[in-house]
Order: sequence, then C-alpha cells, then structure tokens
Amino acid sequence: MIRINSNITFRMTGFRKVLMFFSAMFFVLVAYRFAVGLSITNLSDAWPWGLWTVIDVKLGIALAAGGFTTAGIYYVLGIKKIESVVKPALLTAWLGYCMVALGLLVDLGRWYGFWHPIVSWGHHSVMFELYMCVLLYTVVLTAEFAPIFFDGIGFKRTAKFFVRLTGFLVIAGIVLSTMHQSSLGSMYVLMAGRLDRLWWTMALPILYFSSAVAVGPAVVTCESALSGKAYKHEWDNEAMPFLAKWSGYVLSFYFVARIVDLIVRDQFTRLFTTFDAQTFMCLLELIIGSVLPLLFFWSYNVSGKFMDKRMAVRNAIFIILGVVLNRTNVVITGMWKSAGTSYFPSLQEILITVGLTSFGILIYLFIAENFGVFTPHGHGAEDEDVSVRSGVGAGGVPTT
Amino acid sequence: MSKAILVDVTKCYGCGACTVACKLWNGKKYDDAKKPTVGENAQLADINWTVVSKHRVADASGKTVWRFAKKQCLHCKEPACASSCLVGALRKTEGGPVVYYPDLCVGCRYCMIACPFGIPKYEWDKSFPEVSKCQMCSGRLAKNEAPACVSVCPNSAMKFGDSEQILKDARAAIASDKRYVKHIYGEKEAGGTAWMYISDQPFDKLGFKATVKNRPLPEYTWKIINKIPAALVVWSGILTGVYMITKRRDAVKSSKNSEGKGGKP
Amino acid sequence: MEKSNGKTGVVSRRTFLKGVTGAGLTGAAAALTGCKSTGKPAGGTGWTPQQYNVPENWPVQVRGRVPIDPENPSIVRDDKKCILCGQCIEACSKVQSVQGYYELPIKDDITCVNCGQCTLWCPTAAISERDDVDRVIAALNDKNLHVVVQTAPATRVAVGEEFGLPPGSIIEGKMVAALKKMGFDGVFDTNFTADLTIMEEGTELVARVKNALSGGHGRGEEGHHAPTALPQFTSCSPGWVKFCEYFYPDLLEHMSTCKSPQQMLGALAKTYYAKKKGIDPAKMVSVSIMPCTAKKFEAARPEMNSAGVKNGNPKMMDVDYALTTRELARMIKLFRIDFTALKDRQYDNIMGEGTGAAVIFGNTGGVMEAAIRSGYFLLTGQNPPELLYNLEPVRGLQGVKKAALNVPGVGELRVAIAHGLGNARVLLDQLREDKKNHREPRFHFIEFMSCPGGCIGGGGQPRTALPPSNAVRQARLDSLYTMDAKMYKKRLSHENKEVQQIYAEFLGKPNSKLAHELLHTTYTDRGSHLTAKKKA
Repeated sequence: MIRINSNITFRMTGFRKVLMFFSAMFFVLVAYRFAVGLSITNLSDAWPWGLWTVIDVKLGIALAAGGFTTAGIYYVLGIKKIESVVKPALLTAWLGYCMVALGLLVDLGRWYGFWHPIVSWGHHSVMFELYMCVLLYTVVLTAEFAPIFFDGIGFKRTAKFFVRLTGFLVIAGIVLSTMHQSSLGSMYVLMAGRLDRLWWTMALPILYFSSAVAVGPAVVTCESALSGKAYKHEWDNEAMPFLAKWSGYVLSFYFVARIVDLIVRDQFTRLFTTFDAQTFMCLLELIIGSVLPLLFFWSYNVSGKFMDKRMAVRNAIFIILGVVLNRTNVVITGMWKSAGTSYFPSLQEILITVGLTSFGILIYLFIAENFGVFTPHGHGAEDEDVSVRSGVGAGGVPTT
Repeated sequence: MSKAILVDVTKCYGCGACTVACKLWNGKKYDDAKKPTVGENAQLADINWTVVSKHRVADASGKTVWRFAKKQCLHCKEPACASSCLVGALRKTEGGPVVYYPDLCVGCRYCMIACPFGIPKYEWDKSFPEVSKCQMCSGRLAKNEAPACVSVCPNSAMKFGDSEQILKDARAAIASDKRYVKHIYGEKEAGGTAWMYISDQPFDKLGFKATVKNRPLPEYTWKIINKIPAALVVWSGILTGVYMITKRRDAVKSSKNSEGKGGKP
Repeated sequence: MEKSNGKTGVVSRRTFLKGVTGAGLTGAAAALTGCKSTGKPAGGTGWTPQQYNVPENWPVQVRGRVPIDPENPSIVRDDKKCILCGQCIEACSKVQSVQGYYELPIKDDITCVNCGQCTLWCPTAAISERDDVDRVIAALNDKNLHVVVQTAPATRVAVGEEFGLPPGSIIEGKMVAALKKMGFDGVFDTNFTADLTIMEEGTELVARVKNALSGGHGRGEEGHHAPTALPQFTSCSPGWVKFCEYFYPDLLEHMSTCKSPQQMLGALAKTYYAKKKGIDPAKMVSVSIMPCTAKKFEAARPEMNSAGVKNGNPKMMDVDYALTTRELARMIKLFRIDFTALKDRQYDNIMGEGTGAAVIFGNTGGVMEAAIRSGYFLLTGQNPPELLYNLEPVRGLQGVKKAALNVPGVGELRVAIAHGLGNARVLLDQLREDKKNHREPRFHFIEFMSCPGGCIGGGGQPRTALPPSNAVRQARLDSLYTMDAKMYKKRLSHENKEVQQIYAEFLGKPNSKLAHELLHTTYTDRGSHLTAKKKA
C-alpha cells in the first residue's frame, strides 16, 4: 500500500502493478509519438482512422454513456432506487471523457492546435458539433463530479454550491450527450458510398444514441460487479434489475430500429444470401450484441423471473460486446472494401490504447479508494456524517 | 466568377510535364521508387499533388490502347472535405479552388474519409503533418494565371476558363466528335466539380471512381445538422418538464413523510 | 476553508460567480468572433519557367516536354532535373519531325525513334541515355567471361572532348589503350564491319541496279527473294530505321537488308571470332562504344540474335551492351585512367583493320562516299578515280545533298544524302509521290542518317553548346576526313585484308547464305502503332 497522507492511500496488487507498467509505457510511447508523429502507427492514406478512433474515441464515449443515463434516470425520472450506482457511473463517465480527450490528443496529427475549433467554427461539420458537445459535456461532468471531489478533500461549501447546480447540469448533460452520442453516428453519414450499406444509413444518429443509452447502464452493471469484489460492497438488488430492464427495453428499440432500417434499405436479405467478411461481422454484431441478450432478457421478462447478478452481468457483457463490435464494424469492417488495402494496428498503436485504458483504470481505482465513491461500505465510511451535513446523500449522491 | 478546367484525355501522351510543373510550383519532393508520378503505378500522395496514371484499355474493337489520365483534387462545387472540417481549414473559394489552411488544421483527418474520391493525403512521416492535396494554384489564379499544370501541357490537353464556358466547350466537343464517350466526368459527380474530363474510353477503365453519386455529400449531413437547434430546444424542454414534475413529486412525498413523522424536513 | 462565522474565507460566492461569468463571456466572444485567422493557404508560391507564367497566353511552340516511356531502352529522364524548358520538344519536333507528327490520342506505343537528340538539347541533362556502365563493369569483373568491345568511327574524334581536348581531336590510339587498360579481352574496330557492310550493301545495290536495268524481278543467290526496289536506303542508322518503320513502312522494301556495322561485328564475334580463338560464345559478352543512343534499342531488337540462333541459343544476343561515347568517358574516369597521358595502342586483329572508307562512316555522306568507291569497283572491276576519294557534293552540313556520277559501262549513278529526320522526310515524301505517279526513281541510293551531321552528331556524343553547335560538328567531320586522307593506308573497303580473309575463310562471298544468316536482317512494320500525320 502506498500512503500519501493520512487520507490518501493506494493499495498495491499484482494487477495494479501490471496497470502501472502499461501506464508508464503509455507515457513513454506518447512522448515518442508527439516527437516523431503518426508514423509509428499503421495508419495510411487508405486508412486514416484506425484503432485509436474505434477504441480511444468512439468506444470511450459510448461506454461512458452510463453517466448521463443514470443521472437522467435518477434526477429527471426520479427513480431513486438506483442511487447507489449514480456516483460510480459519474466517476466512470468523467474519467472516460478525460481518457477520450487524452486519446484524441494522441491521435490528432496537429495536436497542439486542439483548441482551434473553439475560435474557428466549422459549423457545417458534424465533428465540430461533436467537439463542442464533448467539450461542454466534460465541463458539465466535472461540475457534476465536483461535489464528490470537493467533499472528499474537505471543501464542503464548494461542494454544496455545485450540488445546487445539479438539476441544470443533469439536463444539460443529457442534451449534450444526446447530441454527441448521435453525432458519433451522424459523422459517418457523410461516408455515403464508402461505408458498407450494412451500416450506412441516415438513421445512424438514432442508432448510435439508442445503443449508447442501452450500453451505459450495462457498463455500470459490470463495473458494479467488478468493484463490488474489490471494495466489498453488495450487489444492489434494487438498482441492478432496474438497470437490466432499462437496457433490455432500450436495446429492444435499438434492435427493431436496426432491423427495420436494414429491411427498408434492402440489406436484410443480403445478410443471409451473401457470405463475406462484412455480412459475417454484421451477423456477429447483431447476434452477440442484440439477439442473445434480448433472448435472455425477454425470456426472463415474460416469465416474470428475477434477473440475478450473474445473468444481469452476462447480458451486460453481451450488450457491451455488441457496441464494441458495432463501432469497430463502422470504422473498420464497413470501410474495408472502399479502402482497397488491409489494416491492422501496429504494436505501438495497441500498446498506447492498452496503456491509456490501464491509466484510466488506475485513476478510477485511486479515486474510488480515496473519495468515498462506494460509501457506506467502502473506505470513506468514516466521512458519512460529514457527507450528510454537506447535503451529499448516503450514497455520496447530492440530494436536492 | 468561378473557374474550371476541362481535361481531354485523348490529347494526353503521358509526358508528365504537368507533374513536374506542380512539383516546381509547390516545392514538393520526388520519390520515384515508392511514389511515381507517371505510369501504371502512379498514385496521389503527400508529395504527389497530381499524377498521370497510365491505363491499357481494350477499346471498342478489342485492341489495346494506352490512355493517360491526369488525376488530382477535383475541387468539388460542394466539397465534402470542406463541410467535414471542424475548424474550417478546408474552404471552397470563390475562384473555384478548395484551399487548405494548415494553420487552422488539427489533424483529425475527417476530410480524408469524407472525400468520395479519396483525394486528401496525409504527411504521415512528419512531426507537424499537413493534409496534402492539389490547391489549384490558388496563388496563380489570384493573378489571373492558369494553374501550373495547365500552363505547361504541350498538347493543350487542358483548357482553363470560366466554369460555364468550360462546360459549354465540353458539351460541344462531345457533340461534335463521336469518338468521345457521351459523358463529362465531373459535370454531375458529387454535385459537380471544377475539374471535368472528356474521354474516348469509359471513365471506369481510366481509374476514375464510377460509383460516386451525383448528390453532393454535404447534403446528407446537413439534413441531420439542420435539425439540431430544434432538437436542442425541444429535448431540453421535455427534460426540464419531466424534471420539474419529479421534483414536485419528491417534494410532496417528503413533506408527507415529515408531516407523518413530525420531524424536521 | 471554513471560518467560524460561516463566511467562506478566500472568495465570496458573488465574486466567484462574477469571475466565472466574465471569463465565460470573454471566451464566448472570442469564439463567436472567430478571431482565429486562417493563416496562409497551402500551396506554392514557387517557380515555373518564365514562359509558363503569362496569364492565359503562352508561347505555343516551346512548351511542355516529349513523352518518354519508362521502358525506353535508350533514353531516361530525371524529373528532378527537368526545368520544363521545352528544348526536347524543339529537337524532337522541329529537327527530327517525330513529336507532333502523329495524331492524338496515341495508340499503344510512345512514338520514339531513340535517336537521343533530346539528350543533346536538354540543358540540365535531365534527359540522358540509360546507363549500362555498371553492367559492363560487372562483366569485366567476372573472370569467367570473355568481354569484347568494338568502337564506332565517330567515337574516336569525340571522346577526347570529355577530357578537355578540343572538338574533333583524333584520339583513336588512346581510346584503344584505355579499353585495353580497363580489361576488355578483345578490342575491335567497327570500321572492320563498316568495310564489310560496304561489301554486302554494295553487292546488294549492284544487284538492285542490275535488276532495274534488266527490268525484272531478280532471283537472288540460293533462292533468296532479292530486294529490287530502287532507290536503296542505307540501314546503319537504327534511329532512321525505326523512323522509317513508323512513318514510312510502305517504303521498307527500299531499306538495305544489311545490318549495321555494330550488329555485323556482334554476330561475327560470337561465331567467326569465337570459333577461330576457341572461345565458348556462351561465355562471351559483346560490348560496343557508339556515338548513338539508338544502338541500345538496336542491340535489343529481337531479330538481332543471329549468332545465338547459329549457336543453338536464340536467347543469346549479338551485342549485349551498347555504350555511348559519354558512358565510355564516364567509365574511363571511374577507372581513374589518365586518358590524355595514354600511349597509343592498336586494335586486335582478325576484326581490327579498317580503311579510310570505313572511318568516314561517321560523317554525313561518309557511307555514301565509301559505298561509291567500292561500288564503282564492283560495277566496273576497276578502282575508282581520284574524284571519288574526295567527293565534295556528298560532304558538308547541308540537310539534303545530291550527287550524280558517271560509271563507265553502267551509266549515271544518282545518289542523295539526308541527315536529320526532318530532312529525310523531304526525300521520302518525294519518293512516295513519285511511286504514286509511277515515276522512274530519281536516285539509286540514298544515305539516311538520323542525326544532324551524321553519327558524329549522334545522341550519345559529348554534349556541346545548346543548341548543339555546327562548329563542333564541322570539327568532328573534318577530323574523320583527315583520318581518311592522311592516316589510313587503305581508302577502299574492298582492299581491307581482314575483310578479304573473312570472306575467304568463313563467309564465302558477299550475300552468301551464311552472310545472309549473320549479316542481314528484316524490318518491322510499326505503322499500326500510330496514326501518322503531316504536321499542320
């Protein structure tokens, strides 16, 4: 265990040591990348976007959708039973967006100009909208996470101030998230003719947004299960089934929308009559990401059975895998034919992605351990009374 | 008045003077081994803003003929690259060229994926990379000179002038000589481009992308973007409304509770 | 931190809010005004040659450059050196009448006769000959290979220029010495086969003339269908031959069936010489030093494998590498040989003897003069009179030259000479017209040279002024005539002892069956590869 002061500690395990190793490698490689440029990747004129776009940018943002969805469910819809997961979800989201920003910086060719879109507006560009919304949403998330942070380090009044902004922040967060989650899809609408028609559609924004809303709670579920083990906090039998149901219904909407879209654009029969890499990957994505979890979900739903932890986590994993496959398919599989050549990320590309993820996990673990994310069963239990006085609720969640 | 160029493929004999003029004017290096500028392996690249690709085509009678097709950015009337750029580093100018401003660029490379012709290339080997594509010698056009490539062609295979006139000339050429394929490449593709081609062999045999639709690509995106302001307002309104209802309900519930318990709220 | 009175110590909420709002408004203002200027646009402010910088109005003649097929065996271009001056177009179009004399679009060929005049006119030497020096050096370094070399007449009055000597310096002996020093196993003189060519071509001409006089189709020796068309064209200039194949394939029947001296020697080296010296032809490498870039093309012509066919290996070429005069100079410098300090040496025998008639092959009119000297002998059995040792009408730089001489017992022999392909067209168009009108041939024999001045002005010769200077051409011409008049003991091809020896021992007689197999060739109609046009 590393002890920084009386309040700040960091437990060392074998797994954490591995994470630190990859994080260190990340920083070394990133320094090198900033020095020599993008030649360390396998990106080329035929493949300007690759692994980093898929994982560091698209996937990072999709999986961080848990923040706005849980906040929305809790504050806007007023469903209080998911209280225990809101704070972890916000932390994941905030960290996720910070890692996305870092990953993006590494991917941008002229990274030192990252601030240019603020003062030079390309307002016809979907990416401009994406940039601004992500920027503003990261500010919103920081503000949403602020009460937990300030509370954790003892600035109670400041924490209280941010708590009062919660309603505004949550709504702003949902609106901004809607815009940029869908923009991640709209971005590919411009690729008409280049993106394989199994994925290209004018409905891309709707599909991306709904899959984000479905996967957000799924990520929260998995994360809850994982950190439950680490921080010995119980599986919340009120929150989790609700989230599982939420994901199930939203995923159903997504799946129906997706299939209808395929049929309307004459791509549905192609899935079963043509056999190539694209149809294979599309079927894989649909089966793993939608068909299987929906089968499980609806069988439980219809029979009125109760979805226990194992099943909820299993479904969540399928949904997450589905989103991973979908984002990969849009960026890579679907663009394969029009690129004309093949692409596989270089070792440095992979190590940077792995390193970035490791770094993100490390920070998450550090904050979780020190900032009362999982009260009252976690490290911050002693601060419970203080939290209540400052208007932060039992789960560490601001009450308004 | 917007300028355009008409390229007559039948007049090109592959001397590559245009590629040399482009390199001279824009100060680009040569890499004959990996990035040839003329021939069957000629490819646009970060250092090749224009190339002349050689094609062996079986003509109508089955005989093999050699055709040379000059390739460069087509300077679309409604460029997908310019619409995709989040900082406005690529802009369609009044004179016709789609110009790149490296000082604004952040290097996101969206333009490279957006272009239906796959034109923008990247300086992958540089620490401060730029997007690389033909600029239609915007500096020369400002002085009323033709682009460098057009000015050096020994066979006058390229004609430079006002877009309307150029289109008229293209139509007249096709109508007057039946060896030409009855199609002007660039007249309608991607909504129309400043560089147009006429040829006696089908364009898909000359390395031109025949699958590019006539609809300008920015239109697809615009259909989505122009709904954003309304969506913003409506969605915020709905969320705020629901939030208010939730707050009200919670307030009512907690006041009921406190009444019931008789304690402090 | 909290204070006991409840006020926050450091910053009041109001101030905080003011600060944030202020910062936010400033940022928004900056953003909305788009205060980031675009900066400079991409694209050059660079340089193109003067004539291309005039708005929409450029000099029509001097613009662009000639097309060069990357697979051209003779000519290569380095784009990095090209300044788009357009001089290659001047040479190819105005002087050689090749560029611009075919309709566009092209068919399946870049029309190039490989003459290399563009290499002489290019001011930066961006256009140059394809470099074969490394391959020759590799052959020399291979101890298993027997490397022989031949030198053309025109090289011996030009190579010195690459070492600082004045134009036309006669350095035949030094050149032979340098070749021997570099390790060539056999150093032969193309003059030898120049004399042989005179014998073969003269005999052919006599046959054509006799046929014309007797008014019928002739049957040649041993069943060959002998060529009969008059005038006969010389065929030693491969650039000229290809030009005729492209633009005047209908007149190919006039082309002498004789190979060029280079190719004759190549064929004989791998048969006659190999047999005589007991060398395995498969281990021989045959190199030539030529003033000519088209010789690289000629050596690679598929039919130039007579020795190979004779030896049972059709893949064996008669001449493996043809180097230009410039390449030889480069090679000599690579070997660090002090050229000007070399002591003269002699060519190797059985294929090293030449006469004055042979050495003037390098001049425009030289082939004609040599042919007339021996032709006179072949027709009359007598050696020619004094006049034919200094035949002024065929000498000099005038583009088209004509002469007529009386041959006792035969009649008037009318000859013409053209050098530079633009001048060739004059005679060729006239001949076409004559044939269409069934007119009697104006000439019996025409000498065509692709390059202005003849071989001494060849595309592989040292570069001089731009455009290439007539003064230099004249100096080289004069030197070859001097060698003929003053330095060579014999001045008649039929008196060449080695030539007599090869007929006696090997070939039999001129136009014999073996001579036809090794020393004669066929031509290719290339007319379908382009649509020829008269320049507008």
